[in-house]
Amino acid sequence: MAVVADAGTLYGLLAVGAGLATGLAGIGAGMGEQGIGAAVVGVVAEEPGFLGKGLFLMLLPETLIIFGLAVSLILMFAWTPFSGIVTP
Amino acid sequence: MPVLRLPKFGSPVKYAYITGRVRAMKTKLVPAEMYARMMNMDMSEIARYLEETQYKDEIDALSKDYSGVELIEHATFANLAKTFRKLEEVSIDEPSFLILEYLRRWDVWNIKTLLRGKFYGATDTEIVKHLVPAGELSSERLNELAKKESITDIISAFDGTDYSSALAQYDGKNLASLENALDKLYYFRMELAVGGTLSVGGGLLLKYVRREVDIRNLITLFRMNKAGVDAAVILENLIPGGKLHGELSRMAGQPFGEFLRGLEGYPFWSSISDIASADLDAVSRIEARLRAYLIRYAWALSNYHPLSILPVLGYMVSKETEVSNIRKIVRGKEAGLPAELIEEQVVVA
Repeated sequence: MAVVADAGTLYGLLAVGAGLATGLAGIGAGMGEQGIGAAVVGVVAEEPGFLGKGLFLMLLPETLIIFGLAVSLILMFAWTPFSGIVTP
Repeated sequence: MPVLRLPKFGSPVKYAYITGRVRAMKTKLVPAEMYARMMNMDMSEIARYLEETQYKDEIDALSKDYSGVELIEHATFANLAKTFRKLEEVSIDEPSFLILEYLRRWDVWNIKTLLRGKFYGATDTEIVKHLVPAGELSSERLNELAKKESITDIISAFDGTDYSSALAQYDGKNLASLENALDKLYYFRMELAVGGTLSVGGGLLLKYVRREVDIRNLITLFRMNKAGVDAAVILENLIPGGKLHGELSRMAGQPFGEFLRGLEGYPFWSSISDIASADLDAVSRIEARLRAYLIRYAWALSNYHPLSILPVLGYMVSKETEVSNIRKIVRGKEAGLPAELIEEQVVVA
């Protein structure tokens, strides 16, 4: 049986997917960073010289968001939503 | 006795700040190789060296009132109290609760110092000098207590607190039974406050404390078995609550050689096996080795649980040991003890 969907609904679902990709990646990175951030602040309180290294470590989970963002961008722009429509 | 119930599953993230901080503080501890160099320094050189370390503020502040051994002794104690108070102040929730529970040992220490001071007729200023306000009792409260006229006044000041039951054992003649009761109370309270909770952090603290009780009992056994004390007297002096309590109790009063053979195979045996022999001359060497073992144990545990109370505990134990090492060196040098003898007493993990 052929799947029928109008272009508007499909585009809407794509947008939700793109939002989830960036949003969930952001939440995950945030959860990772909370512990690292707290630890870095603790160390910097004792050793101010550690700030540079600490910031680097803290920003590592941030790279995950880039993956999420890349997926979002692909969904929104690189993949044309009308190519997948199967007409009856 | 108010006992705080901790949540069943404490999130390890709340330990991130305090563990990060103590790991940075650990790097500022006096390195082990410095103890050997301190042996060859004179008092003013040691004070000058300490001035370059974390003890700077205390040495500077106290140098107008004291000099030599007194200066180093008071500066190290003041720094210990300041450091532990800081740990307590910068932590929240579960870590703070567990740190305070551990630091109550300094309350016990202070109460013992107060009672001993009064017992031997020391003045209140002399007593205050030897107090370490690192626990729950603040320095103001301790100063107030030191000003009390007699031992009974101090004991009645603790009416209604956890300590009253232990302090009630004072018979007016000697303090030994009272001091034992205070030690037992500390460990009992710890078990009740921490062991009653199902929190992961509390369980780990208790695991270490049980091992510590075993080591303390073992040191008591070494001393008393060596001196040939009666088993009943030894059993009175053992602190209940250790993991090996039953096994260690059975060793009380054994002939020394047999006692040593019985210890083989325990996890601490490898750290004392080379010096523990029937013709052992000084138990203090064994004691230093066992204390070093305890520090290693605390840090080893903390490697399995990096985000827990254990790194904090490891730091506190290391810091206490550092202060006692410095004090041993300066007091030993002042008394003119030979360097080898002091070196044996210094605990290096």
